[in-house]
Amino acid sequence: MQFNKVTEQLIAELKSIVGEANVLQDEEKIEMYSRDEVSDKLWEKMPEVVVKPANAEEISAIVKLANREMVPITPRGGGTGLAAGAVPLIGGMVLSLERMNKILEVDTENLFMVVEPGVTTGDVQKTAKSYGLLYAGDPCSADSSFIGGNVATNAGGNKAVKYGVTSRHIYGLEVVMPSGEVVTFGGKNVKDVTGYDFVHLMVGSEGTLGIVTKIWLKLMPLPKYVADLLVPFADMQSAIKVVPKIMTAGIIPTCLEFMDRLSIKAAEMYLNKKLPYSDAGAYIICEIDGSSETQVQDDYETIGKLCLENGALEVFVADNMSSQERIWKARKCYAEAIRMLSPVYCMEDVVVPVSNIPKALEAIERISQKYNCKIPSCGHAGDGNIHATILREDRNEQEWHDLKDNVLDELYEAVYALGGNLSGEHGIGAKRAEAMDKHMTEAQLNVLRAIKKALDPNGIMNPGKLLKLQ
Amino acid sequence: MTQDISQYKGVLVLGEQRDGKIQTVTYELLTRGRALADELQCDLACVLLGQEIENVEEVIQRGADKVFFIQHPALANFLPKPYSNAICQLIEEEKPEIIVAAATTTGRTVMPLVAAKVNTGLTADCTELTIDPESKILLQTRPAIGGNIMATIKTPNHRPQMATVRPKSAKPAPIDPSRQGQVIVKKYDGAVFITPEKFLEYIKDTTQEVSIEEADIIVAGGKGMKNAEGFKMVEELARLLGAGVGATRDAVELGWTTYPHQIGLSGKTVSPKLYIALGLSGKIQHLAGMQTSEVIVAVNKDPEAQIFKVADFGIVGDVFEVVPMLLDAVKKAKATV
Amino acid sequence: MNIVVLIKQVPGTDNVKLDPETGVMIRSGKDTIINPLDENALEEAIRIKNSHPNVKVTAVSMGPESAIKALKEAVAMGADAGVLISGRAFAGSDTIATAKALAATIKKLGPVDLVICGERATDGETGQTGAMIANYLDIPVQTYVSSVEIQQAGVVVKRTVEGGFERVEVPFPVLITVNKDINEPGFPTLAGKLRAKQVEITIWRPEELGLDKSELGLVGSPTRVVKVFSPKLARDTILHKADGTTGPVDELMKFLAAKEVL
Repeated sequence: MQFNKVTEQLIAELKSIVGEANVLQDEEKIEMYSRDEVSDKLWEKMPEVVVKPANAEEISAIVKLANREMVPITPRGGGTGLAAGAVPLIGGMVLSLERMNKILEVDTENLFMVVEPGVTTGDVQKTAKSYGLLYAGDPCSADSSFIGGNVATNAGGNKAVKYGVTSRHIYGLEVVMPSGEVVTFGGKNVKDVTGYDFVHLMVGSEGTLGIVTKIWLKLMPLPKYVADLLVPFADMQSAIKVVPKIMTAGIIPTCLEFMDRLSIKAAEMYLNKKLPYSDAGAYIICEIDGSSETQVQDDYETIGKLCLENGALEVFVADNMSSQERIWKARKCYAEAIRMLSPVYCMEDVVVPVSNIPKALEAIERISQKYNCKIPSCGHAGDGNIHATILREDRNEQEWHDLKDNVLDELYEAVYALGGNLSGEHGIGAKRAEAMDKHMTEAQLNVLRAIKKALDPNGIMNPGKLLKLQ
Repeated sequence: MTQDISQYKGVLVLGEQRDGKIQTVTYELLTRGRALADELQCDLACVLLGQEIENVEEVIQRGADKVFFIQHPALANFLPKPYSNAICQLIEEEKPEIIVAAATTTGRTVMPLVAAKVNTGLTADCTELTIDPESKILLQTRPAIGGNIMATIKTPNHRPQMATVRPKSAKPAPIDPSRQGQVIVKKYDGAVFITPEKFLEYIKDTTQEVSIEEADIIVAGGKGMKNAEGFKMVEELARLLGAGVGATRDAVELGWTTYPHQIGLSGKTVSPKLYIALGLSGKIQHLAGMQTSEVIVAVNKDPEAQIFKVADFGIVGDVFEVVPMLLDAVKKAKATV
Repeated sequence: MNIVVLIKQVPGTDNVKLDPETGVMIRSGKDTIINPLDENALEEAIRIKNSHPNVKVTAVSMGPESAIKALKEAVAMGADAGVLISGRAFAGSDTIATAKALAATIKKLGPVDLVICGERATDGETGQTGAMIANYLDIPVQTYVSSVEIQQAGVVVKRTVEGGFERVEVPFPVLITVNKDINEPGFPTLAGKLRAKQVEITIWRPEELGLDKSELGLVGSPTRVVKVFSPKLARDTILHKADGTTGPVDELMKFLAAKEVL
């Protein structure tokens, strides 16, 4: 694919569409658009220009312009991605959705919220809560991630065990297609099989098939009672072996998370707070919710006892806001806390069937020892999603590069052998495009390529993401 | 028990000393007290407790008509019991109508004890003290319920009327060498000072010394700085300006900076010449700690943010866009000096 | 050793607004929590209990019956018992009336060696009741305590004060108010939770405390609220909108130069 540079002429036209103030070229100002939360220079690149449109019409005009000029567009949400999906790695323009941050409607009768993509997930959650409702999507980065980014990556998060990933909550989308046409599929109808399920093709498409400009989110009643268990174990294996037992105990936890020794230490350093049993080999964090207090109590007692019977060192119970916040701070700070161990790292997002988590963690431990590198792991035990993070520490560029190559090769191999896959929730982006290309069959890839080609014949929408550049 | 409240006259402020040196907060209280005494057309007295105290006349020169110096070795350092006993004795003798103390660790400890002992009302952390023009009763206004609302409180039937005010919320009056007044040394019976408590030592904390309370300029950041990385911009601007770094409770709780930097109801109160608020919306709790700053500048992307209501100069925009420009401008300005 | 910990249940959110028309408070959200500094107080009591023999910890609260939940949480954390004083006669209590009622409760509980409470609560932020209770119990008080050493016949406390710390030695019985540096509150255990389910929280009514009616609630409160209002904030604000140019910042620099603050 041959793309063109952004010209002065194009800049002028962009300015006439979005206004001068919303076209950024100044190096200092666009610097923050050159990366996401992947902490590696390899995945950074300065955009040629950043545009900040205010509505679908402006985006449509920009997209048409990009097609005419053959300039790639990288759509961007909150910039909290972990796969370099919002980084303009082959240049062109970054299209930031930060100005489209309005909550358009909260429909308490049909239980829907209609929002623009630039609203933070946290604001969506808080707004729903203020109406006594729940938006169940809950990525760890909720405070800063945009709901549009959650849609683009089909973000998972903590509550996926019980409530499913982002796609489960998306019932309609307005999209600016790569052609510049604005289309809406779905909406407030709970059942809708009219045509292809385009909504769910868009969810998780990482900005390669169009730009989402309006989102219909399904809300549900807010569970009245929530309790969290923080369960330390002496070692990772005994912790993780309890997971399938919990999952088959007849209770669906809202969250079922784990943290290994290194992640606990990192959280402790980052929060500058002593955590209970912080010398433990692992934590399991389990959340139960429901509409009856006694039911929630019974459930956490059952799970707590199960943990104690299976080697838990202690079972801590948090059933009020303040103690729950303390537990979740430790878990949710993982991505930031890991920097306390090593400023540069490579965070992975592999997923395996729940019953194979012990084996996957054994493999990670083996690889860690083989290459003599630290790989702290933490993640969503309840859905088999493991954030194993390779630390660079003080390795030089070449050593780091080699280490990553070797570790990732072996990690992916191990994960595939266990029936798993590359990414559970962070997405492919640019970071894993090569790996996905390698691990998918040609037939699978052909399907994906055909879809891309049909919708984006010029390939201007976020090229090099999800599918590697041809 | 009904008091004859008409016997109570005059305004008394509780001065503070450490190591025999009168603390600045004493002079701030005199400013507050002076305004009330003038309104009531009565005397302003100041009580000092200690063993030896330097420059007691300065209290007169900064606004007091009378100084009661309660002198005893047991008062060298603050201990709740002897201090509260001595103040109660003074109240019995002098019957002040109003007592104002600073909301310092000392004032906030001794005033409740005194209020309980003499069975009267006490209002903490007042931001405003006025006299009701008709009843001549003290109206004490303070933030309430997490600071989202203000409450005006009075003590109608008990005397003295007691309040604490936050340090730094008033400016000391300049020294007026011509002011005349009386210094009355009070010596009480030893029984007043008997206490089971034993003061062991005072340890100066050097990390608190670069205190934001003393800074002329403060650059403060809130949740809008997005993350620890973003908050560094606040620190950078502060460094450039030789300013102190302030933060909202959110920013402290997110671990971007430490508690000594927290400004607001649950943190410190500051009153610098210049307060630059970055990416903070201005919850009333925060405003309570900084709204007496001389000049307030705010940068926030929400034009409706409360902070703009107290700001002298506001820029509605993304901190990540505006602050780098500001850094540049300050660098440039410094280079030309 | 007998320790009493005082606990207040406070709104979990500080998001309280006034109805602009009626002036009535609107408390959004019904979540209540234990006042955070009281959690530190409780944690300190539990730590002392866990490191010394024969320590009994009793948690005491004044409030509506829903505060049983906070006391149960205290028991789950490791307190031996919980006592709630509750009743309409307490309504409208200011810090003086509250302190009298709590002091009477502690007296009724029998001899006490150490009373621990948070330095202030997040709702009222007065920080007065601790010292007042000490006065009514006629025991010494130490405030702003950031560490406690238990000794043979008393405690040595470290207080965080302006510019540094003070160390003070006090014999038992003593009341201390703690700040957040004293410890990191832990979590109740499952065993603690199960125990708390069994433990009955004692409820005492105003008339059981031996106080005169004139000392209770609004009648017993020297202070009166004259009015509550939303804070009016007003300065003449020069407002600029960021437009991608350095214009607004240049204006700001001019403004600061004119005000002579830079």
